Amino acid sequence: MRIRVRKKNLFYLLAITSSVIGAVVTVIDTYISLEYNINPWSLCLVIFIAGIVITFILSVILSIPIGGKPLGARIDPSFPGLRLLRKEEVPYQIMAGMGNAIATVGYFFIISIYQDPSTILSFFEVVILYLLITESIAEKNAPSMAEVESSIIVTFGAIMASFSFTGGLNLKGLLIVFLVLNPAWVVFSIYQRKLKLLRINGRHNDAINIRFWNLFFTTIFTAILVYFIDTKHFFAAIDALKYWPIMFLSMGTTFFSYIFYIRALGLGKASVTQAVKSSTIIFSIPLSFLLASYIPLSFYESIPQLVIKVMGIILVIMGVISFALTEVRAYIFIKAKTGHSSTDLINDIWAIKGVTAVAAVAGRYDIISKVRMRTLGKGYERIIRELEEINGIEKFEWHSILKEWEEI
Amino acid sequence: MIKAYILVLTYVGNLKTVLEEMRKIENLESIAVVAGDYDIIVKVEVEELEDLMEITNKIHSIKGVKRTNTQVIEKEIRE
Repeated sequence: MRIRVRKKNLFYLLAITSSVIGAVVTVIDTYISLEYNINPWSLCLVIFIAGIVITFILSVILSIPIGGKPLGARIDPSFPGLRLLRKEEVPYQIMAGMGNAIATVGYFFIISIYQDPSTILSFFEVVILYLLITESIAEKNAPSMAEVESSIIVTFGAIMASFSFTGGLNLKGLLIVFLVLNPAWVVFSIYQRKLKLLRINGRHNDAINIRFWNLFFTTIFTAILVYFIDTKHFFAAIDALKYWPIMFLSMGTTFFSYIFYIRALGLGKASVTQAVKSSTIIFSIPLSFLLASYIPLSFYESIPQLVIKVMGIILVIMGVISFALTEVRAYIFIKAKTGHSSTDLINDIWAIKGVTAVAAVAGRYDIISKVRMRTLGKGYERIIRELEEINGIEKFEWHSILKEWEEI
Repeated sequence: MIKAYILVLTYVGNLKTVLEEMRKIENLESIAVVAGDYDIIVKVEVEELEDLMEITNKIHSIKGVKRTNTQVIEKEIRE
């Protein structure tokens, strides 16, 4: 039996689960960088090579049918088993793979040239605002003012929570973050979302196949980049495969974090998903405390830093809550005037900001449309006023949604 | 694949029990409680028209449902 849940709850559940697992990955990766003496370039490549192997093993295990459905359908109900890449996915996967490879190489470049890159890397959190700007330009549903405010709160909070007092700030490092790392991550996120929204054989694309094929392309692009940066790092990466158990642990855990992240991307905007995922910073703190007795991890260097960290964490929580609070949805039933093309009419309605679905129907009404907005006031300003301007609508009825359950 | 909206009107005081019963029905893509002329809007996705009839029958048989109005989707654009 399939589960019917409230979509909003599911989105936050998935994004926060991904953050918790992501926090475990952060701790494992810190352990790898402290305990194993692998140069950053080789580490960057070896982690992907190990990643593709463990992801393949996990995907095959998750393809085993149990009770008529693959095991993986319990993590993502759309999962039909590991399959070959579809033609329509190839351009999106190439873009997502390039984005991931460039973002990763940019990250390791910063690690390789700066002794303490944490201050510079904290500006990676600004990627939420990059996503917001990209969505404002490219997507039909531009972010509302409340979303912009919440995003800024989360971004600043995340920077404060991850800021280090010991690391230096320099222009070159910041330029790499702002001009290479963040834009590449935006490409990675946007194309992963596009992949999740694709329909394969009439059903939603699944996160497990998306992740497997994304790693496939990312590994190829990363191998090419590392090879051209320095061939000796390329071969050192092959040698570092001897540490495969810890690499498998890191990338196996990452696999599950991404599955939930990609599923969340299919339900919400990329910017909001990224903002909720910033809570990884919060979850990594208790985990680091637990591991601190085994490996030398430091949480803060001074009391002022601790205060700033706590303030940052509070801002992240407040920002995420304010994202979740306000959203109004409604159905609009429309009766069309005779003599008007219903194709033109549904295209005109679809062009209105806030319209998430529009359907031409046979029955008492001619068109049923679903809309989403931040407040009912906005609904009037943005949607009803524009509907009234469309020629061809005889009358419409507004039904505000009070509560909704959707099939997952 | 056939998609449809089923608009449901309930008798006053029966909304909660109708919802509980409705959530047990298979093939419902979404169930929304709304404020307006109708009380519940159900979106259905089925293979054949006959399956749609079966779902409509199931909804009709729920105690507390006053009337339904089925709108079959001819064309849909969505996010």
